[in-house]
Amino acid sequence: MKRLMFVLFGLFVGLAFFANGVCAKTTIELWHAMSGSRLKVLEKIVADFNTLHPDIEIKPVFTGTYEETLTKFIAAYRAGTAPHIVQVYEVGTQTMIDSGAIIPVYQIPEILGETWDWGQYILPIVLYYSVDGKLWSFPLNSSTSMLYYNKDHFRQAGLDPNKPPSTWDEVEEYGKKLIEAGVVKNVIAFGWPDWQFEQQLALHNRLYADNENGRAGLATRVMWPDEFSLKLFETWTRLAQEGILIYAGVEYDPNAAFINGAISMLLQSTSSLDGILKTAKFEVGTSFLPRFPGEPMGNSVVGGATLWVRKGLTRDELRAVWEFLKYLSITEVAIYWHKNTGYFPTTNAAVKQLMDEGWFAKSPNHLTAFLQILIGRRDTGASLGVRLGPFVAIRDYIRQAMEKAFSGVLSPAEALAEAAAKANAALEEYRMSIGK
Amino acid sequence: MPYLLVFPSVAVIIVFLVVPFVEAVIQSFFQTSPFGTVSVFVGLHQYRLLLSDPAYARSLLITWYFALLVIFGGLSISLFIAVLVTRKVRGLAFYQIAFVWTYALSPAVAGVIWALLFDPAVGLGTYLISRLTGLFINYTTQGDVALLIVAGAAIWNMLGYNICFFIAGLQNVPRELEEAARVDGAGPWRTFWRITFPMLTPTTAFLVFVNTIYAFFQVFGLIDIMTKGGPGGATEILVYKLYRDAFIRVRYNFASAQSVVLFVIVALTAIFQLWVSSRRAVYLR
Repeated sequence: MKRLMFVLFGLFVGLAFFANGVCAKTTIELWHAMSGSRLKVLEKIVADFNTLHPDIEIKPVFTGTYEETLTKFIAAYRAGTAPHIVQVYEVGTQTMIDSGAIIPVYQIPEILGETWDWGQYILPIVLYYSVDGKLWSFPLNSSTSMLYYNKDHFRQAGLDPNKPPSTWDEVEEYGKKLIEAGVVKNVIAFGWPDWQFEQQLALHNRLYADNENGRAGLATRVMWPDEFSLKLFETWTRLAQEGILIYAGVEYDPNAAFINGAISMLLQSTSSLDGILKTAKFEVGTSFLPRFPGEPMGNSVVGGATLWVRKGLTRDELRAVWEFLKYLSITEVAIYWHKNTGYFPTTNAAVKQLMDEGWFAKSPNHLTAFLQILIGRRDTGASLGVRLGPFVAIRDYIRQAMEKAFSGVLSPAEALAEAAAKANAALEEYRMSIGK
Repeated sequence: MPYLLVFPSVAVIIVFLVVPFVEAVIQSFFQTSPFGTVSVFVGLHQYRLLLSDPAYARSLLITWYFALLVIFGGLSISLFIAVLVTRKVRGLAFYQIAFVWTYALSPAVAGVIWALLFDPAVGLGTYLISRLTGLFINYTTQGDVALLIVAGAAIWNMLGYNICFFIAGLQNVPRELEEAARVDGAGPWRTFWRITFPMLTPTTAFLVFVNTIYAFFQVFGLIDIMTKGGPGGATEILVYKLYRDAFIRVRYNFASAQSVVLFVIVALTAIFQLWVSSRRAVYLR
């Protein structure tokens, strides 16, 4: 019975759409994963665009988390009901490149007979999403990971609130002090734990997978466990056993603990900055990610997401999509997006205007992650970040390895080896499935 | 005419159950690229992969363990509460409603409540347990704890449904039989186990069946909200592993093979249960 109701409902909705399609507006569907405070910001931008362009209607549809949005897009593409634009997180980059389902954005102005200066976008973003120097997806919300810390807690434990830890040894040392002083029971948590693993490898210029992190060709195997990743896993496991590091769930789950003052430090995406600043009732400090001293310097890697354009659009649709993408690059729009979400400003002009109006001096926390990524090296595959076909699955395996190591089910070495075996099998299956 | 009348339901079953199932069986013999552009026939490769996958064996064990917890734990607690709330006490209706309302919550809502309750950093349940026992539980890293908590949430969510049926069953037990037993000198304990419980077997058999389906499939929402199969796959029951393999890890063909195997497992379980209950249940004529 329930099913039947669904069918009837579906027919109804279908009819409604059909009736709508009669008027001359070009309707563009945009699937995205922007939840919480970011949803309103995106919807405002889209609404402004729609008022400005009466002949175009962008329909933003929230399709769940990044993971869900990507897999829904894949399912929809197979069923022939995919949207015009989809927001895909950096993990899905290689999958999208290999998909044969999209038009690389660099080709859109060429098709429409326009020229476009791709040099206006911030270089680390462009490099991450480029194949052979050509940009494949449109920069929207790029971020990286940084350290958030509770300055009030630091004061209570007798620590200098302007001297956050810069190495993992210091994290441990500060952690012990914070626990001994009775400020917190656990000190640090990781947002997107699987991504933090990736960040640390890149930060120390270590390859995650072969073929230059899958940038020179399809990766055939992951490079861990090696000496460095073992050291990393062992350090984290030790911190977890000492109660300093607490595994508090995935993605944005650990934010609640930080905002409530249950922990003092958080490694999390810059995209949480505005949410944290608005809700935390203490002084928030931010800094670069902790490192291992004596290890080579790399860079933190780009996270967040970009917009991908499906192939097979009509010329009108493509023009409408392109109008919208260009609109996102307008300095005022890029600034509005940055100020209200914490994601990087995407264009050089936006950065100049932000600087001229004194924004970074007024809100230095908005500069932290940006500086971190701008000062790092970007001439190696290792520092540019990883591109893997079955990356969603591999992230899942590395997350499981962290969970198993932290809880003591497996030793750090065993957990990493188990994840590596699964990851290598996934890479092989992927290459087989796309016929390479 | 009779064919015409059953046609709508048969059509719905064909469209929504038979066709997708046949599709799944076909898919399980192929290896397809994520976007469906390349498809290669691989024979029994997916099944071989499945049977040699230690993660699948583990998932199977977890599923059985979880189902046993939910079915026996849930039914015992429900029966106990149902017996209590059918006694003649003041405010009976209040108690009955108080225990039954949990069924009105969707698994997703129940999941959110339990996830917050046992949040490692800010959960009230975590706090109380650490206060009472000194044990610090973290269901986001401790697999056993996670499984117990998810099972707890599943039992709690199903409690209302089970209690409703047990109350109805208890009210149908003829008073004369119990009174006769009492006259013969049987205590309340003995009366319950020798008279009331056997009279409840049809209800119990039905509930075991419903709860099996519940533990195998319907807890999906609960697991998705609470643990997403983690930590380290500790709550990845078969149906959730299937979902993750298909829609997160984008291994549609591998997941199709799993769905076929899952179908066989559940069908065998159902047949076995129906066979047992038809032999053992006492039906009063």
